[in-house]
Amino acid sequence: MSVNNLLENWSQFRHAHPVDDKPHDPYKWAMSIDLDTCTGCNACSVACYAENNLPVVGKEKFAHGQVMHWMRIERYWDEDGRDFPDQGAQFLPMMCQQCEAAPCETVCPVAATNHTADGLNSQIYNRCIGSRYCSANCPFKVRYFNWYDYPTTDNVWPAEMTQQLNPDVSVRGKGVMEKCTFCVQRLHAAKVAAKGEGRIVREGEVQTACQQVCPTNAISFGNLVDPEARVHQQWKAQQVELDKDEQEKDGEHGRSELRGYRILEELRPYPSVMYLERVRESAI
Amino acid sequence: MMDSGFDRRDFLKVMGWGGAAVALTGCGNTSVEDGRETVVSYSEPADYVIPSIGVYYNSTCAQCDASCSINGRVREGRVLKLEGNPDSTINRGKMCGLGQAGVQHHYNPDRVRQPLLRKGNQGEAITWEKAYALIAEKMKGVSGSEVAFLSGSVSGHLKVLLGNYLDSIGCKNHFVYEAIAPGVVRAANKKSYGVEMPRFSINKAKVVLSFGADFLGSWVSPVHFSQQYAEFRKGVNGQRGVLIQVEPKMTLTGANADRWLAIRPGTEGVLALGIINALGVAKGDVAELVKDYDRARVSNETGVPAGQIDKIAALLKLRSPSLVLAGSAAEGYVHGSQNAAAINLLNHVLGNVGKTVEITESVPFPQMAPATGSTAALKSLSDGLAAGKFKVLFSYAANPVYTSPSAMKVRESMGKAGFKVAFAHYLDETALEADLVLPLDSALEDWGTHVPEYLATCAQINIQQPLMEKLHPETRGMGDILLALLKQNRADEYKGYEDYYAYMRNALLKNKSALGGAKIDDETFWNETLSRGIIKLEGPTTNLASKTSVAGINLPEAAEENADYPMQLIPAVSASLRDGRHTNQPWLQESPDPLTTIVWDSWVEIHPKKAAEMHIVEGDIIEVTSRNGSIKAQAYLFPGIHPEAVSIPLGRGHEAMGRYAKGFGVNPFQIMDAVYDKGTGELAMNETRVKISKTGQRVIVVKDEGAVGGKQMGKKIAVRVSTDEVDLSEEV
Repeated sequence: MSVNNLLENWSQFRHAHPVDDKPHDPYKWAMSIDLDTCTGCNACSVACYAENNLPVVGKEKFAHGQVMHWMRIERYWDEDGRDFPDQGAQFLPMMCQQCEAAPCETVCPVAATNHTADGLNSQIYNRCIGSRYCSANCPFKVRYFNWYDYPTTDNVWPAEMTQQLNPDVSVRGKGVMEKCTFCVQRLHAAKVAAKGEGRIVREGEVQTACQQVCPTNAISFGNLVDPEARVHQQWKAQQVELDKDEQEKDGEHGRSELRGYRILEELRPYPSVMYLERVRESAI
Repeated sequence: MMDSGFDRRDFLKVMGWGGAAVALTGCGNTSVEDGRETVVSYSEPADYVIPSIGVYYNSTCAQCDASCSINGRVREGRVLKLEGNPDSTINRGKMCGLGQAGVQHHYNPDRVRQPLLRKGNQGEAITWEKAYALIAEKMKGVSGSEVAFLSGSVSGHLKVLLGNYLDSIGCKNHFVYEAIAPGVVRAANKKSYGVEMPRFSINKAKVVLSFGADFLGSWVSPVHFSQQYAEFRKGVNGQRGVLIQVEPKMTLTGANADRWLAIRPGTEGVLALGIINALGVAKGDVAELVKDYDRARVSNETGVPAGQIDKIAALLKLRSPSLVLAGSAAEGYVHGSQNAAAINLLNHVLGNVGKTVEITESVPFPQMAPATGSTAALKSLSDGLAAGKFKVLFSYAANPVYTSPSAMKVRESMGKAGFKVAFAHYLDETALEADLVLPLDSALEDWGTHVPEYLATCAQINIQQPLMEKLHPETRGMGDILLALLKQNRADEYKGYEDYYAYMRNALLKNKSALGGAKIDDETFWNETLSRGIIKLEGPTTNLASKTSVAGINLPEAAEENADYPMQLIPAVSASLRDGRHTNQPWLQESPDPLTTIVWDSWVEIHPKKAAEMHIVEGDIIEVTSRNGSIKAQAYLFPGIHPEAVSIPLGRGHEAMGRYAKGFGVNPFQIMDAVYDKGTGELAMNETRVKISKTGQRVIVVKDEGAVGGKQMGKKIAVRVSTDEVDLSEEV
């Protein structure tokens, strides 16, 4: 591919999804997370370790920034200089936002990460060469690189622990990038089951591991183009539109009475995860 | 092989002839061809096993005492993942991180795999026959009063069997010990409401005022309360529930509060009485009790601004019903019972009893009801051991050598018992002191019945069933061991039960009609019970006390400054590590603490202002010294703590247990003062005074938030809005 070709036909190689000729049909997986009910308990993160064969890297590698938590809870304090955080902390579950125009995809030299028809940002492990450009380009810092061959690293999966590994998910080797997949193995199983009955996956038939475990039901996940889906209804009620980089409801002031927002929307990655603002009582 | 004169070709010939010999017996046909055997392909192996398809079995989580019902995914005979059972009224399909790590308890590489007998400092592997014979021999000539049995909380048929065993040896010394149980609050609730644990309906409250009850993290039944909390936040007609949390060290619940108030440690009761005073609705002896607790005095003693006390009182008046909770942070003092009583009084004054503090059912089989643990029990065991009263000590589901203050000298007292038996999953600190260590099945390999202490909406018995075959052939279930021990004394009575499974099954089938199975046959009842994992029952209820006496509420004067030990040590109970019994599960070690995001290590939380005064920066190794010893750990500057307090999380600092636990962090239990609540005799966990000093060393704190801490840099990342800025009524 010459550079000229790339520049001339740019829109073919890179465009936001969906586009008119390739609409999201019948699936567009999306999520919404209510930060008012999220308590920051970390159950989702542990569920992700259990479901997706994430290695426990240990203290030293954690210190080097090599932790592999696809789902992490970020904690923020107010930055107003007061003595006590007397309205609590802010918790934010952060995982791959499955961007519609993902910055990671365009920089992959081998097209190991690309967009699927159902709106996922997929990672092809056996195509990945470990350039780590995708991670560098990810504004959310949710891509995790295998610096070591964890299956053969001491105390990661010693003896019996290997029996816990989920056979539906591959164990990644050294030199490969990985990240949240929206539990694609579950989506795939649900789609196959539905296809066998000649229909599409209905609301409630598939849950991601983090959504399934969340003690406060803060996470909804489903098919954004299915009017029956809770996630569709939530996005609609919050007037958050997938293909906008600025939401109409926010108007000139940049905010509205609705709580829905997407993180770093202005960078135009068109994330598939909507967050609902945390609320705190004004009367106390 | 060639050297030994054994040829591979000969070997195959022998094998071939062996196979042929079997085939020839069927007149030329193979056993398959003549129908004596069938070939079953792996694509349809055993019942309920379909290769590549996960099958879900219900059981009960044993990681803590909340007794959530779980749904284990089993594939090709291996348990892979634990999810919640949606039919449980306790956890309704949900789980916490601690519960999910149950699979790492099961597959743990450091589990004890054989009975071990002490030989000097070594454990020698012995057989179970020898172990049982040894126990029988040691029990000979020892009277029941000379035997002590230490256990964690037990319920269900295991409790019944344990009781029967103790009965069979004439022993009345069952010490039920939990290191971080709400013992004081239970006693105070009994006095205030008439039951130890009423049902708290957070979802029905419009305001929750919690005095250090970490109900979203580690208190009583956190997964259940988390779901109530979600409903409470959604509220009715967009009227969202308001959470006010008062505590000296911010817990996970405090981090989710609408208003978090740093209170001077130990003055929670004063604030409660101050709020009653500010409400101005109390009459009679309650009014008399609170009349001196005016806002100026209360504010002065507690450090909570007077304006805030008025605001709380106003909100509580305006929005009813509310709910007031007395939690661990308020009870851990010499006057802990007083604190809890004063806090509970608020519920009576606000008229919450009967509305959000509700009656709870109990299981109609009192012998199966949970024996709840306390620290007072450990104290009396320890005293008894020190006085040389006990010759034989059994220890199950407790690790007192690790979880008790070294000032209590439990390790030393244990030495006085001639023969110590530990039933253990790991070689933890207590098992290392034992003479005989008996390896237990994991919770995912064992049978059992559990009655939760905190019942959500109805009485229930939770069934625990094995989710897979035993990993290690020489481990045993606790029930099986008790049955074997019982047979030593009452062989005739128990000879009908081959194992604990048989005992449990028989016991449940015998009471089938009372368990809702009157009209179905045994087999159907049994299968349905196992497949449901829960037996829901209607049980007797106890009416709540509509009034409470204020007699005995007598809060101490404000403590004097202590120049030698100027700070209060608040040991923090983390949601994932609790009392440290599951620290060897690596998911929990690598799961960041929600508030500090620190992993794999301990830390000392200190308020940034105090740290600045003492020139302490993040990562400084500081020495925390009490009257009973000192520990060193990295400093973490934490805004959610009272400036006169420091906090160190519990659960780390193991000297033994396994590769993921040993040597990570420090154990604050060690330096706690051995002082007790006057009302109940429970260990006063927050009463220790300490001084801190810099050691001159510094480390880089290993944490998830990054070196400079989480900052939003002016971007809209995690946003918070005030209720008057949003419209919640139209939300989906």
